[in-house]
Amino acid sequence: MQQAYKYAILYYLVFSLLLLVSSISLFEIKIGFSYSEVLKYYLGNEESFMMAKTAVGLLKIILPHIFGFALFVMVILHFVMFTKTDKRRVMPYLIRASFLSAFIELFSPFFILNGFEFFGYLKLLSFVVFEILLLYLFWILYSSILTK
Amino acid sequence: MRFTLIKDIRKDNSMSSILNALLLFTFIYLISDLFVSSTTIGFSNLEIQTTLYGNEEEFLEPITLSSFLEYIHTKIFFMMMTLLTLSAVYLRLMKATSLAIYMVNIVMLSALVTIITLSIIFFLHYSSLLNLYILFFILWHIFALYMTLHSLWKLNYATSL
Repeated sequence: MQQAYKYAILYYLVFSLLLLVSSISLFEIKIGFSYSEVLKYYLGNEESFMMAKTAVGLLKIILPHIFGFALFVMVILHFVMFTKTDKRRVMPYLIRASFLSAFIELFSPFFILNGFEFFGYLKLLSFVVFEILLLYLFWILYSSILTK
Repeated sequence: MRFTLIKDIRKDNSMSSILNALLLFTFIYLISDLFVSSTTIGFSNLEIQTTLYGNEEEFLEPITLSSFLEYIHTKIFFMMMTLLTLSAVYLRLMKATSLAIYMVNIVMLSALVTIITLSIIFFLHYSSLLNLYILFFILWHIFALYMTLHSLWKLNYATSL
């Protein structure tokens, strides 16, 4: 039985990787990976005819992501719990770091809109940290599937 | 995934009801996905080409890069969540027989192929893969629908679990 579930998890990992690739591409195309591009996207730019985002508009964009991030991270972390990862020393940090980076990634744009422009750096940093953490979790799962 | 730990699911009324509802919703989702996909991307070779590349004669614009990525991004998310849940339920109810494992492999691979071929068709303008995309799109839906119905039957009518 256990072996059978490994197939499903392995395919889930492949889908997750594709999801990560598409999210990075979307970030690059819609926002951009520089501080000035992040500010331009949220605060608008007259030269590029870009409208500033509104709080409601922003909420509409992040609404499905609030649930999606939570569900996705929960499923991955729940699988990692079954691996040999140290549950007392490593897991608590992985759980907190994953959810915290996801939270900052989602909500930092609201601070940018309210004049705290340095949150542009946090938006970029949290996105990168979140993606790296996910890759690390994928790796833990993948190596666990291969070794057991 | 508590249902993977219960010995006889049918004797557990709560879990049985939860799984029945989940499978029913999955069935409705799969049928709806067929209709929604046919109106957004298209179902025939020509419709998909028009959506992805546009049509100069009919003054139809092609799908934008960001719209395409948003479409793929959403598709991947819902596919992975639906298929992971469905596979877990199916494997549990079928007691992970080799046939069930084959079914899971086929449905997962078919779904992956649709995502990959559609991306290749859009980014590399490789329209010869369109028929392959349509074939695997139909295939993963048929297999997922079969797994859903088979699980429902097993949960409600099979003599042993």
